[in-house]
Amino acid sequence: MTSPVKDSLEHQLKALLPRGRVLTSAAQLAGYGADGLGYKNHLPDAVVIPADAEELAGFMQGARALGVPVVMRGAGTSLSGGPVAAQGGVIVHTSALKKIREINTEGFWCEVECGVGLNDLDAALKPHGVFYPPDPSSGPVCTLGGNVASNAGGAHCFRYGVTSNYVLGVEAIMLDGSLHRFGGPAGGRGPWREDWKRFMIGSEGTLAAFTRFWLRLLPLPEKVWTFRATYPDMKTTEAAIHALVAHSSYPAAIEMLDPRGVAMVESSQMACGLPEGSFMLLVEIDGPEALVNARVQSVAEILRHAGSQDVMFSDEDALRQKLWKARKASGGLLGQLSPSYVVQDAVIPKRALAEVLQLVYDEADAANIRAVNVFHAGDGNLHPNFLFDSRVPGELEKVELISKRLMQRVIEVGGTLSGEHGIGNDKSAYMPLVFGPDSMRLQLSVPAAFNPAHQMNPLKVFDNRRFVA
Amino acid sequence: MTPTLQLTIEAQGYFSNCTHCGFCLAVCPTYKLTGDENNSPRGRLRLWSEEAAGRLQQDKWTDFYTAECVGCLACETACPATVPYGEIFEHVRHEHVASHRFKPKLALRLAAAAVTHPMLFNLAMLPARLLRSAGLSMHRFLFPGRPSALKSTAAYAEELMQRHRPTGPRVAFLTGCLMEAMFREINFATVRVLIENNVQVIIPDGQGCCGAFQEHTGLDGVEALRDQNRRAFGPLDVEAIVSNSSGCGYALGKTLQPNKQVRDVLGFLGELGPVRRPRARDDGTRLYVDLPCHLVHGQKAAGIPAKVLDATGYRWELAPKAKDCCGSGGVYNIQKPENASAILADKSAFLNEAEGAPVILGTSNHVCMMQWHSAGATGLVTRPYEVKHIIQLLDPGEKFSIPSTSPQP
Repeated sequence: MTSPVKDSLEHQLKALLPRGRVLTSAAQLAGYGADGLGYKNHLPDAVVIPADAEELAGFMQGARALGVPVVMRGAGTSLSGGPVAAQGGVIVHTSALKKIREINTEGFWCEVECGVGLNDLDAALKPHGVFYPPDPSSGPVCTLGGNVASNAGGAHCFRYGVTSNYVLGVEAIMLDGSLHRFGGPAGGRGPWREDWKRFMIGSEGTLAAFTRFWLRLLPLPEKVWTFRATYPDMKTTEAAIHALVAHSSYPAAIEMLDPRGVAMVESSQMACGLPEGSFMLLVEIDGPEALVNARVQSVAEILRHAGSQDVMFSDEDALRQKLWKARKASGGLLGQLSPSYVVQDAVIPKRALAEVLQLVYDEADAANIRAVNVFHAGDGNLHPNFLFDSRVPGELEKVELISKRLMQRVIEVGGTLSGEHGIGNDKSAYMPLVFGPDSMRLQLSVPAAFNPAHQMNPLKVFDNRRFVA
Repeated sequence: MTPTLQLTIEAQGYFSNCTHCGFCLAVCPTYKLTGDENNSPRGRLRLWSEEAAGRLQQDKWTDFYTAECVGCLACETACPATVPYGEIFEHVRHEHVASHRFKPKLALRLAAAAVTHPMLFNLAMLPARLLRSAGLSMHRFLFPGRPSALKSTAAYAEELMQRHRPTGPRVAFLTGCLMEAMFREINFATVRVLIENNVQVIIPDGQGCCGAFQEHTGLDGVEALRDQNRRAFGPLDVEAIVSNSSGCGYALGKTLQPNKQVRDVLGFLGELGPVRRPRARDDGTRLYVDLPCHLVHGQKAAGIPAKVLDATGYRWELAPKAKDCCGSGGVYNIQKPENASAILADKSAFLNEAEGAPVILGTSNHVCMMQWHSAGATGLVTRPYEVKHIIQLLDPGEKFSIPSTSPQP
């Protein structure tokens, strides 16, 4: 497997990373072939694990001269094929950059390195009575670097907003080795230039390597109430969602599990007694105790009025976790049902929910593919999961065809491609469905300005964005 | 390319359960240590499945990352898709040893051979028992204790059964090999605690090593041991089979399923509500409880019951990161001492600052106890502390009687 070119790359990398690790053997690259989209494999030519932020900076200074693509990677939990070497090259794994550098409770911000785990940050913040709201389901593993790169969301983003609402500043290193700070702890009210950071958030590794962030924090809510209700059909479920959104006790989260998801949970060891064929809604409200307590009955009444016979709610941690169980378990259960799955991430106007869900069912049934819907209903962020076996010829193609038809309809009803997972190389083919040629050209000029040869994470977001040495 | 890893079809089926979500990374001790994805469950599964599918040639790095795994099974707890990682890992490790891709250290190979002959092993360990009894053992793994040099646990149990005649539930007790040969005082304490709680203790003849040693090293012979234990425990008419070592209990449990269930002795006592040990009002002892991986991730127990910990009479709390591995991993601390020590360094750091005088680190697996003892012996922990099996903290001592309020048959 050795070649002069590869030997030379290894030699150069070792010179750039005297303290970190350089992986080049076939069995060392195999582990880095995929992200959370496990069935798509793209082998890098090398992987580097910088020992710390200084070494990452040193690496970036010499990276352009390597003449190969450079791909940043956090924990590799993304579902879009983002942190993989689609055009070969070097993966930079930021697993060693996990320092929480400061927690400032007076200014309600923290400073973290890009490899800090999301739940690790939460655990560190909790004793200070503050929290960082974005909460993607991969929280136990995912890193802030990946969160910022894909502008991650989560269940509670319905009220709290997504990652971009909480990034005060980004420190990034360009391929020429120059270090830039966009914003900082003063963040939101800094000089006009600070909004350049907005280019960085959601850039999916196409612009620069992130080294650290300044993040906005909020006081921990005094009180949280969790509600669970089931509905016999989509119409009543939709009525409940609309009523919740319009009501003054604006929930933090409105999550939904469709009857196929309910069936999956109920036939597993995670069964929690949900009625067969029902749609499940999970709702959470939080805030100052007196205020939230006063709203409990009205939220329960909304859920009942829309047609639920089994509204359950609690403010006790143990019971709340039970109510969340079906929702939390559903993601992992997919793996027990099928060897591979594709999860779409479309966002649609809520009025189109029933129609688009029906389209998912019709298309999946016609192609004999299982589809399970578990998603953030409050903000219309769909997550239809198509279950298939990538080893069976033709199955992936079927799923891709369904996905494409679904995306076309999503665009027609006024929706968009991705709410929180990013585009990566999984959804880049759908970009022209949303954006015309002029818009695509304009968007491409942004990465071209930061790294003219598209050396950073090529073949992502735009499927013709290729690195030319 | 011809696949070099001869995995059974069944194991190949398991691989496909892994959706590559990455939830195992955050809990994996070697991923946390190295930040290298190949050194995580998701990475290892990928290496094995690629090789089994013929897409990856046999590679010394695959052997390296396989040998790096502690086998703590924390990934099984974290896995939403219930990939039976431990089973796959055991299979791969055995194959690596059989095909000379991995060679366990000589001391482990000798020990693995010795434990299959309990009489010989007990005899060979007699000097070590004598040294421990005399308080002269200096090895970093040999925590202090006073094991009986000659009397076996079986003989002791029979003696106490005659003396106290308990009338409650009947249990069969797995005495273990290293436990019996080296740390017999814990077995004796277990017998006393069970009998004080009116439990009838039977020690089946002909029981052998649970097989965990072979599982941990990948050496041959596990099936013969499993057969031996099926014969020894299978036909018994008892209410429970108990073990005081979570690793051994887990291994025996796998052997006897689905016909018989093996219980951790502390879990079993938790249901009875054990006799409480009184302590002085001004006792400043603080007990920090660590949970063995094979208890919480292997046997999938929630932990050690609070009723049992309360019954020690001490003020207790869970050690920080109690469900994370301490680095012992069966024989990992002998096979990979540097990694094991780095894992332990992180885990044991709290003891230096921990409140209490004296401080006890309590757990329920002798191999973890050895590892925890080494934290002091190797200078990771610089303040004095004791390592105890929780059952020792319930021990009534030689003179006890069964309280009249004990559970009746």
